[in-house]
Amino acid sequence: MKRIDCLKALAEVAGDALVVTSAGGNTAEWNACRPSDGNIRTRTLGLTSSVALGMALGLPRRKVIALDGDGSLLMNLCALPTIARKNPPNLIHIVFDNRAYESSGEIGTATASGTDLVGLARSAGIKNALWVSSVDEFKQAVAEAVRGNTLTFIGAKVELFRSEVPPYPMDEVENKYRFIRYVEKTEKIEILKMPIPVSFQKN
Amino acid sequence: MADPSGPKIILEGLKEAGVDLIATLPDINLKDLLRLVEADGQVNHVPLCREEEGIGICAGAYLVGKKCALIMQNGGLYNSVNGIVSTLLHYQIPLLLLIYYAGDIGDRTFSTTGAMTEPVLEALGIRSYILRRPEEAKDLIRRTLILTLDYKRPVAILLTKDILGRRRPGE
Repeated sequence: MKRIDCLKALAEVAGDALVVTSAGGNTAEWNACRPSDGNIRTRTLGLTSSVALGMALGLPRRKVIALDGDGSLLMNLCALPTIARKNPPNLIHIVFDNRAYESSGEIGTATASGTDLVGLARSAGIKNALWVSSVDEFKQAVAEAVRGNTLTFIGAKVELFRSEVPPYPMDEVENKYRFIRYVEKTEKIEILKMPIPVSFQKN
Repeated sequence: MADPSGPKIILEGLKEAGVDLIATLPDINLKDLLRLVEADGQVNHVPLCREEEGIGICAGAYLVGKKCALIMQNGGLYNSVNGIVSTLLHYQIPLLLLIYYAGDIGDRTFSTTGAMTEPVLEALGIRSYILRRPEEAKDLIRRTLILTLDYKRPVAILLTKDILGRRRPGE
């Protein structure tokens, strides 16, 4: 199973979910599959699911998807008990496990010697945590999570393989502003409030 | 003895300033404040396992419109440095950091932790303000939140034993 094929399937069922990608290969691949200002990448290894948790808590009626990697999740395993503790029903945490630090020289992670990420998620208290073993199973699991209203953790073992997709098309600050403006527009809320300059004020 | 009303005033100040999500990790000197946060029905309280995840959680919540604060010990600041640099500073994301100042003047433990606190904040370009007196708390919190939102970088308030009602005779 290739990650890019899972991402193509995800793009068909993700709807208008906000999507947080990892500091790894899934960022450019996901943006190639679903270009949207509702995507934001992370630059701190490990914080993908934490950023997504914050969004899910802030917008409880909007689906939020974290696209994590094994190296990323292993760096921030305490995200799992914290997510379980808050139990946000609108959060879908997907981990592509290629058993390596793909973007850092393809050196093996702990999952290469048997660490079970879905087992860890379940032990942390995330009840709806499952492995999928084909693109069809992956698509079905994500579609159910998008339709439903239950915190979901999906693990997918994928090949160590980076697709030839265009690089991510913007820097982090532009990504932030576009993402915030997209949330403002689609949620009909005001997030960035600019102060009225003193010279415009009456008194 | 320090004034025991500090923790109550800090939480009131945060809520009056519009803070609606508070991520926390305990320290014995933060216990009264964290119990108030936990018991409060209005703010969304996120108890953490490690402080750096709180940086990510607060960043994500900010991006969808929440006003956040992260309450931790200065040891937790050190645990959070990579997240502060490559999430908050790199993306220009504001966050109010309320840091218990372990190793502050008069403290009999953690003096090494205390010695590094202000230099680390300064190296990160994080402006910080020391809070000792309850009567200063609300105004300082309100103005610090304005500053972080305008500056689009984290700003820190260092919480001392005095403000937390934890200073004992002889300290």
